Amino acid sequence: MSGAALEFAGATKRYGSVAALDTCTFTARPGRLTGFLGPNGAGKTTAMRAVFGLVELDAGTVAWQGRPITPAVRTRFGYMPEERGLYPRMRVREQLLYLGELANRSRSAVAASVDTWLERLGLTTRATDRLDALSHGNQQRVQLIAALVNDPELLVLDEPFSGLDPIAIANMSELLVEVAAAGTTVLFSSHQLDLVEDLCEDVVIIDHGHVVLAGDLEGLRAAVPHRFVDVDYHGAPPDWTSIVGAELVEADNGHARLQVAHTVDLADLTTAIERTATVEAFSYQPPTLSELFRHAVAA
Amino acid sequence: MNGFRQSWLVAKRELRERSRSRAFMASVVIMIVAVVIAVALPTLIDTTGGTKDIGLTGSTPATLPAAIAAQAQAVGTKTRIHDYTDLAEAEQAVRDGKIDVLVIDVNQLEWQGRADEQLKAVVTAAIQISALQQRANTTGISDTQLAELLAPVNVISVEIGQVAGRSPDDETAAFIITLLLFMTVTTYGAMVLSGVVEEKSSRVVEVLLARIPARNLLAGKIAGIGLLGLAQVTVTALAALIAATTISDVDLPAVRGGVLAWAVLFFVLGYALYATVFGALGSLASRPEDAQSAAGPVSVLLVLVYFVSFAAIGSPDTNWARAVSWVPITAPIAMPTRMAMGAAAWWEPIVAAGLTTAAIGALVVVGGRVYASAVLHNGPTLKLRDAWHLRATAAATTPERRTVDRSIAHHNKTAVIALAAALAVAGFVGVVTGDVIIGVAVGAALFALVDRASKGWGVTPSREADRASRSSRINEPHETRRRR
Repeated sequence: MSGAALEFAGATKRYGSVAALDTCTFTARPGRLTGFLGPNGAGKTTAMRAVFGLVELDAGTVAWQGRPITPAVRTRFGYMPEERGLYPRMRVREQLLYLGELANRSRSAVAASVDTWLERLGLTTRATDRLDALSHGNQQRVQLIAALVNDPELLVLDEPFSGLDPIAIANMSELLVEVAAAGTTVLFSSHQLDLVEDLCEDVVIIDHGHVVLAGDLEGLRAAVPHRFVDVDYHGAPPDWTSIVGAELVEADNGHARLQVAHTVDLADLTTAIERTATVEAFSYQPPTLSELFRHAVAA
Repeated sequence: MNGFRQSWLVAKRELRERSRSRAFMASVVIMIVAVVIAVALPTLIDTTGGTKDIGLTGSTPATLPAAIAAQAQAVGTKTRIHDYTDLAEAEQAVRDGKIDVLVIDVNQLEWQGRADEQLKAVVTAAIQISALQQRANTTGISDTQLAELLAPVNVISVEIGQVAGRSPDDETAAFIITLLLFMTVTTYGAMVLSGVVEEKSSRVVEVLLARIPARNLLAGKIAGIGLLGLAQVTVTALAALIAATTISDVDLPAVRGGVLAWAVLFFVLGYALYATVFGALGSLASRPEDAQSAAGPVSVLLVLVYFVSFAAIGSPDTNWARAVSWVPITAPIAMPTRMAMGAAAWWEPIVAAGLTTAAIGALVVVGGRVYASAVLHNGPTLKLRDAWHLRATAAATTPERRTVDRSIAHHNKTAVIALAAALAVAGFVGVVTGDVIIGVAVGAALFALVDRASKGWGVTPSREADRASRSSRINEPHETRRRR
C-alpha cells in the first residue's frame, strides 16, 4: 500500500464515561512530518499509545501499511513517550544497545546506529557514563536516540519539543526534517503551533478524541473560505464597517487586520481604504495554523 | 521466537546490571562468609575435639596418667599430661587456658570456667581406677588380674532425634533446606518486586513496552533474577562444601543427592510462583515506598509457609504435613522438607511439582494480566481489583477514592470471622505440632494475612460504615498518603 502508512480508522477508547478517543480517523504518510495537535486532554497521548499497543482500543483499528500492527511490526517503530524515562543507573551506550536489540536488531547493526547518533548529537564522550550523570538536555538527547536506534519506519514523538531551549528546538527540528526526508513517517504532537506550521506538511487536529481537521497544511489553509488582509497605512483610518464583505479583526494606529471572503475583489478593497488613507503595505493571506486550530477546536 | 529472544535480552540485562551492583556483590560475599563461618565455627570454638591438656600437681599416683589415657581413649579423646610442682604455677596455667583441667592431690579438679563434663567424667573415672589399683595392690591383687577387672567397656552413644527412624542429621538437613528455600525465595522475589517498581517509577517501562509485550518483559525479568539467585545459591553451597571438606571435623548433614536435586528444582518452582505474584503486585505501586505495602500479603504468606514447613520437620508423616507438601502455595518449601526427613514416597515430589507447575501457569496468566494493565498506570497504588478490571473500565478515574486506611478492624463482621478462623487455626496447629508458640505464630500470621489481603483487594465498606469509621478515628494517628 502506497500513500497512507499509518492509518487510524474509527479508533475509540473509553475510560468510564470519558471518551479518550472517539471514532478517531486519520492517516500519516511516509516521508512527511505530521503534526498532531489538540488541546490538553484531547486524546493525543492515548492515540499514540494505541499505535504501540499500550492502550487497547474498544473499537476501530490502527493499521500500518494496510495491516494490523503486531508486536513484530512494532519493533520497526520508534517511540518517545511524553513521560520521559530510561534506566537512571545504566550506562548510556549499553542502555541504547539494549533498547535497540529489544527491537530485534542485530547487535552490530544497533552498535553502528548508536555510535552514529551519539556522534551526531555530541554525546560520544558521555557514552560510558551513567544516564543520571548527564544534564537534563543530554538526557533528552539520549531519549531521542532511544527512539531512533532501530532506524524506525515510523517515528512517534509525544511532545518532543517540550522543555527544550531555543537552540535544542532548532536542532530537533532539523533532525526531524532530515529523518522524514529519508522516508520515515513521522508523527509528533506539540502545542507550539508556529513551529508545527514551519515544519509540517500535514497536520491532524483532534478534540475530545475526535479528529476535527486533518490533511495537507497548505490545502487546509487554502480550503478555508476566508482570508486575512493586513494593511499598514498612514492618514485617517477609513470607516471599516462601510467596506462590504470585510470584517475588522484588530486595528491599532496605522495597522488593521481584516477578515474577508476568499472571493473578495482586492482592487475594490484597496480603493475603499485609499479614500481616506495611503496604503504602505498590504498582505493577503490564508489563515495561520493557530487560527485554523482555534476555529476547529472552538467549533 | 522473537518473544523468546526479547525475554532473553531482558534476562541478560538483569544479570549484567545486578551482578555489577556493589550492594549485590557485597551480599554475595557476606552470604559466603556467613556460611563458611557457620560451617567452621563449631570446629573453631569446640576445642574439645582436639587433644585435652591435663595438669597434675600435688601427690599423684604413678598409675594416674595411664588410667587417664585409657579412659580418654574409650570415649575417643586424646590427652596430654603436664606435671606441675608448684600449685600457683599450675593454677596460672589453668587461668591462661594452657591446660583444660588441673588435678590437685587426686581429689580436686580446677577449671578455668564451667567444667567440661566429658573431660570431668574421664578424669574422675581415671582417679577412681588409680585409687582402686592402689588399694588392690595393698590387698595383694596382681596388676594383671586388676587390669582384666577394670578393662574399660566401650560405650557408644546414639542420637535418635525426635522422630522414630530419622537421625538428627536428617533434621538438621531439613532445617537448613527449609531455611535456605525460604530465604532465597523471599530475597529474589523481593528483587523482582523492586525491579518492577523501579522500571515503573523511572517511566522507562513505557519505552520498553513499545518494543516488547508486557508478558515477555515480566518473564525475562523473572528468569534473569532467578538465574542470578540460582547462581548465588550454587556459589554459596559450593563455598559451604569446600569449607566443610577443608575443615575436617565437621559432620556434613546426611543429605542425599536426590533430595538436594529436588530442593534445587523446588527452589526454581517456588521462586517462579512467588516472583510472578511479586511482579504483578509490584506493578500496582508507582513509587518504591509503596511497593512493600503492595506486596505485604505475599510476604506474610511466605512467612506462614515457612512456619508450616518448619512444623512439618517435627511430624513429617502426618496427614496435614502431607497435605501442605502437595498444595502449591506451601509445596515448594514443605515438600523438600519432608523429603529431607525421608518421609515422602518417590512419587510425591512429582505430584507436588506438577501441581505447582500448574499453579504457576495459572498465576502467569493472572499476574501477566494484572501487570500488563497496571504497569502503565501512574498515581496512587492501585488495588488488585482495579487492575484486574482496568482493561474494561476506567484507568485514570478509579483510585482516587481509596486513600483512607481501611484495616480489617473497620469491618466488624470480617474482623470477627478472620479472628475466629485465626484462633481455630492457631489452636489446631498448636495441638498438632504440640508447640504453643508455633500455633500462636501461625494464627497471628494468618490474621495479618487476611487483614493485608482485604486491604490489598480493596474491600469497600458501605458509605455509612466508611464515614463512621473515619469519624471514629478522627483523633487517632492514621496512615497519611502523599497525593501527587
